[in-house]
Amino acid sequence: MNLTRRTTLQSLAAAALAPALGGQAFAQGATFRIGALNPVTGAGSPYGSGMQKMILAAAEMVNAAGGAGGRKFEVFAEDTQTTPQAAVLAAKKLIEVNKVQAVVGTWSSGISLAVIPLTNDANIFLMNTSGAPALSVPPANAKGLSYRFQATNDRFGRAFAELCEKEGFKRPATMAFNNASGIGNTEGFKKAWEKKGGKVVANVVYEPNQTSYRAELQKVLAEKPDVIVTGSYLGDTTIILREWFQTGETTKWVIPAWAANPQLVKAIGNEAAEGLFAVDSISNEGSPAFSAYDAAYQKAMNQPGLSNVYAAMTWDMVVTLALAMEAAGPNADIAAINKKIREVANPDGAKVSTFAEGKEALKKGKINYEGASSVLDFDEFGDVTPDFSVSRVEKGEIKRKYLVKI
Amino acid sequence: MIPFIELALNGIVSGLVIGLAALSITLVFGVARFPNAATGDVMSLGAFAALAGASASGTLLIGGVFGIAVAAFVSLACYFLVFQKLSSRPPVASLLASIGVAFVIRAVMGVVFGHQQKVFDLPLARPWRVLDIRFHPTDLKISLAALATLVAVFLILHATPIGRRMRAVADDPSLARVSGISPRRIMVALWLLSGAVAGIAGILVGIKTVVTPEMGWDLLLPAFAAAIFGGIGHPVGAVVAGVILGIVQEVATPFVGFTYKIALSFAVLLAVLLIRPKGLFGTVAGAR
Repeated sequence: MNLTRRTTLQSLAAAALAPALGGQAFAQGATFRIGALNPVTGAGSPYGSGMQKMILAAAEMVNAAGGAGGRKFEVFAEDTQTTPQAAVLAAKKLIEVNKVQAVVGTWSSGISLAVIPLTNDANIFLMNTSGAPALSVPPANAKGLSYRFQATNDRFGRAFAELCEKEGFKRPATMAFNNASGIGNTEGFKKAWEKKGGKVVANVVYEPNQTSYRAELQKVLAEKPDVIVTGSYLGDTTIILREWFQTGETTKWVIPAWAANPQLVKAIGNEAAEGLFAVDSISNEGSPAFSAYDAAYQKAMNQPGLSNVYAAMTWDMVVTLALAMEAAGPNADIAAINKKIREVANPDGAKVSTFAEGKEALKKGKINYEGASSVLDFDEFGDVTPDFSVSRVEKGEIKRKYLVKI
Repeated sequence: MIPFIELALNGIVSGLVIGLAALSITLVFGVARFPNAATGDVMSLGAFAALAGASASGTLLIGGVFGIAVAAFVSLACYFLVFQKLSSRPPVASLLASIGVAFVIRAVMGVVFGHQQKVFDLPLARPWRVLDIRFHPTDLKISLAALATLVAVFLILHATPIGRRMRAVADDPSLARVSGISPRRIMVALWLLSGAVAGIAGILVGIKTVVTPEMGWDLLLPAFAAAIFGGIGHPVGAVVAGVILGIVQEVATPFVGFTYKIALSFAVLLAVLLIRPKGLFGTVAGAR
């Protein structure tokens, strides 16, 4: 018998490791770990706490209904501080230390784009609320494990175009913050507007952190546009609108709602803000799923669920994931669960609005989860198409005017 | 032609504000001999303090004075707590420490004032038109405030005993010491002065834009560029360089586009340094 030292060591090592491996497999069978990675502090702080609380609430709801596919959720919460650096550190900790199998609720494109290589390497899910078109396609979504519960910036651009058509604008111009999200908005608008046979008279992409945007404004205003469509954020929009008002021009503005919010109106004053259009993607208001989410949000945050569109998205993330796990059956791996996500969310099944309802209906056949944030039908890129609202600033109040479906 | 003049005017205003920040950097460099990366955050702090002072007192003037005082005091505190202890070490130790100080100040501002943007509550005014060129009243006031600050700093440097001693230390520290100039008093005056100048720069940027904890840090790079361009350690140079970079950046935009205008000002900086390594007004480094 040729028993060398090496083979002895190998077999000893195998014997020592076997129970450890088995133990881990058993632990994974009992729980499914989720990392709630949200902007609790920083620019996303108005939304982050609510997003995180809804992940916890939805996970509790799933656990109370007996878990998904025989597994209970365990949630690990982290703060992105709304900066990519902090988000990457937190994601590393969630993946390497907590061994989460899904990272849910990243907000802002820069953060999702920074975190996605990590989740891809670990072969786990990333469910985000960001808009950058780059998140749809490889390399970011090369593995098809990323799902976006927010409208893409491209879709925002299409909603802007619908608005401009409806309001009768003829000579739109665009101004975009130089990043994936800002340019995504205005490029999406340009594509949609040109498809309608229109022409965009000027396009400007500007750099962040400037003390003045007057040169940029001058270039745009020289083309005499009747409306300026932006892909911008709160800080730069404040400076631009103040400088615009001081030029004495009377152009109209169409601005995404994350920039055109009550803080903007407060910063520039009622007179300058009068007539601004704010466009936002909206939750699936009036749906039974939204009522369920709304009740949970009121309980956790003491505020109406309408006040946080992103919290409705994170609620849906957990429910969708749970339904896919239920459909995939006990101990399904990530790939098997991933195959089921579109199956439980997209049409052609029995419409369901909660996890418990879906779990019951799955025994009879296919289901279609109609979410709280949107009807939640994922396309080939893992993107959804919510509805949009158009609001107008009137005497300092942002008033919702009508809905846009694209 | 009119658009160019308006762009140039705009560049002058931006340049004056950046020039003030550069002045604060260059003052510290001239005497304490290190690039102070905390300058930007002292600026932000000045702006936040001015906001708080203005909302408590109801007038911007008192708020502004309070903001300047807070910036000057914090700047001095940084010297006593950190930079004094490092003064015998190589400059890179102070530089790295100043980056740390910057982080601390910014983090404290984030906790105390929050990350939401704040604005000075000033009414928006329509511009005056002179020969069809638009003049903005707010910009005019900002420029006047910046110019007044510059005049005050130069008067302090050139017409007061403490200023004369400061310049003596900047020229030759050992000779100054032999002549009986006490370094400690010079340092106190220097840090108060550079903090006050940074505070004013921060308040002016805050009035022009929005106040956030990150605003000063974001402006640090252009301010450093202006300080180097002007000949580091040279106060007039810092301001002139700030204005030149501001004008170049703005006037060039019709040709190079907006994405590259910031890069362009650094290209100008590189070109000038290739021809004049000591900067616009700098003396030869070897003589220091």
